[in-house]
Amino acid sequence: MIVKRTRKRSSRRTVPRNTSTTPYLSVIIPVMNERRTIAKVIREAKKVHPNAEVIVIVNGSKDGTERIVRQQRVKMLSFDKPLGHDVGRSVGAEMAQGQVLLFIDGDMVISHRQLRPFVQAVAKGMDVALNDYSGPTHKRLVHGVVLSKYVLNIMLSRSDLKGSSMTAVPHAISRRALEVIQAQNLSIPPLAHAMAIEGGLQVEAVHAVNVGRMNPVRVRQHKDPLEKLIMGDHLETIDWLSQKLGARGGFSDFTRKREIVR
Amino acid sequence: MRLVRRSKRRVASTSKRKVKPKKQPLPTRSIAVKTTSNPYLSLQSSTPLPSISVILSAQNEEDSIGAVLSEVSRLPIQEIIIVLNGCTDGTYGIARTYPLAKIIHYPDPIGHDVGRAIGAKMASSDILLFVDADIPITAQDLMPFVQAIHQGVDVALNDINPYLSTFDRRDDLSRCKEFLNRSLGRRDLTVNSLTAIPHALSRKAMETIGYTYLMVPPKAQAIAILKGLRVEVCTSVNVVERNKIRKTNVGQTNPVAELIIGDHLEAIREAMDICGSRLALTDNQRNHIAARRNRR
Repeated sequence: MIVKRTRKRSSRRTVPRNTSTTPYLSVIIPVMNERRTIAKVIREAKKVHPNAEVIVIVNGSKDGTERIVRQQRVKMLSFDKPLGHDVGRSVGAEMAQGQVLLFIDGDMVISHRQLRPFVQAVAKGMDVALNDYSGPTHKRLVHGVVLSKYVLNIMLSRSDLKGSSMTAVPHAISRRALEVIQAQNLSIPPLAHAMAIEGGLQVEAVHAVNVGRMNPVRVRQHKDPLEKLIMGDHLETIDWLSQKLGARGGFSDFTRKREIVR
Repeated sequence: MRLVRRSKRRVASTSKRKVKPKKQPLPTRSIAVKTTSNPYLSLQSSTPLPSISVILSAQNEEDSIGAVLSEVSRLPIQEIIIVLNGCTDGTYGIARTYPLAKIIHYPDPIGHDVGRAIGAKMASSDILLFVDADIPITAQDLMPFVQAIHQGVDVALNDINPYLSTFDRRDDLSRCKEFLNRSLGRRDLTVNSLTAIPHALSRKAMETIGYTYLMVPPKAQAIAILKGLRVEVCTSVNVVERNKIRKTNVGQTNPVAELIIGDHLEAIREAMDICGSRLALTDNQRNHIAARRNRR
C-alpha cells in the first residue's frame, strides 16, 4: 500500500509575482531553515533560463528563511510545519506552469551552469533528466540509500542508470512526465522514478553534479535517520511494482519447473 | 519421478527418459574411505551424532560430479541425494558408483533450485547440506556447515565477502542479495544468500520454511529470517571464481541473472505480505525526520 504523505496546509500563503507570461521553466526549491544558502540558491536558479519562474516552498522554518525569500522576486508557498523535501517538491510541482520543471534543494548552492544541462536535455526531448551521481560506491559497505537506488534500477531493468534516481537533485522533468507521474507522487521520489520508467518515459542520467560533497555533514553522519525512511520508500515502490507487474516484477522463471515440487 | 537406489544395478527403463545413460566405468579417482576418526571430519559434541544428508542437483556434470561425490563421501553422512535433470552425458554412470547415492532422475532440465527442493523433500536426516555438482569443495571446507547446524544454527550460509570487490565493481545479483538482507534488518549478512552454495539447513529450518519455498532461495531466506530462525554465516569458501561459465550466466542481461532478480522481487513481495510494505524499516513520520535533519 502506498500511503501519501499528508500535507499540513496550515497557514498557507501564496505570493505570486511576475505571472504576466507563461514561464518555460519552473525551478522548484523546497527550503527549511536555510537562511545561509537560500538567497544564493535562488540567484542561481533565476539564471538557468530567461523565462523561468522560481517556486520556493518554505516549510517549518524558524530562522528567518521566509523573510529572505519574501525579498526575492519568486513565488513562495509557506508552511509552518516541516514537510520534508519530497512533499515540498510535490506541492511546488502542483502549482508549476513551466514546460520543464527543475528540482533543486534550498541547502545546496549549485551554479546555473551546472543546472542548465538538465533543462537542455528535457528541451531536447528527454522526459526525466537525472543527476549522473550514484553516491560513494568505491567501498565495501555502502549507504542504504545508495544500495536501494541501485537495486530499484536493477528491478526496473535499468541497471545502466546505476544509482541515479529522482531521489537525488538536481533533476528536471518534462510536463508530459509530470502528467504521467502526477504531482502528488513526487512526494515519494523512488515511486515517481519507477512510474516514469514503467510509464515508458525517456529517463536518462544526463549530467554529473557531485551533491554528496555539497551535502552538509549532518546528513552524512553514521546514524542517518533518512536512511531508513528512504529505504522504506524504495520498498514501497517495489511493493507498487510487484502489484502492477506481478510478484516477480515481470522477470521469468527461466527453466524452473515449479509444478514438479508438490 | 523415480527414486533409484545404488543397490539396484539396473534401472528399469522408463518411456519418459529420452536418453539412457551409458554405463560408465568406475571413476579413476579412488573413493576415499569415510572415517569419523579423522579429526577434521568428526563432530565435536557430547550429544548423539546427528544424521546428515547431502543434496545436489546435477545437469550434465560428468567432468566434476565424481570429485564432488568423492569429497562429500568423506563426511560422516547417511545419504547423498542426487537430482539428475536434463542429463545427456555420463553423469548418471558416475553418480551410481557411490554407495550412499540416492538418485532421482528427470529427463528434462527442471532448474537447480527445483532440484534442491525435491532433494530436500526426499532427505530424511537432521542436517541437510546443499552442494553444487560443478564445484568440488573439500570435505574440510564443508564440515563447518554441518558443525554450525549441529551447534544450533538453522540456516548456515557461506560468507563470500572476503572474495568480493568494492560495491561499484560487484554484479547486480550481489546488490539484490545485500538489499534483501538489509531490508529484513540483517545488515550483518551482507551479500550472503541461500542462492549460493554451499549452505546447510537444520530439519527445523526445512520444516519451518517448507520445502516448496526452497525453489526460490531468496524467498526461503526471507521466511527463515522473518520466522526467527537462526540464520548465520559459518565459514568462507571461495566459490565466487569457480562458477562455470555458461552462455546462460554471463553478460549484462542473461537469463540466470533475470531469474535471480525475479526471485528477489518475489522474496520481497512474500516478506511484505507477512509484515507490511516497509519490512524492517519503521515508518517514522516524515515531518519528524525533516525536523531532526535540520537540527543543528
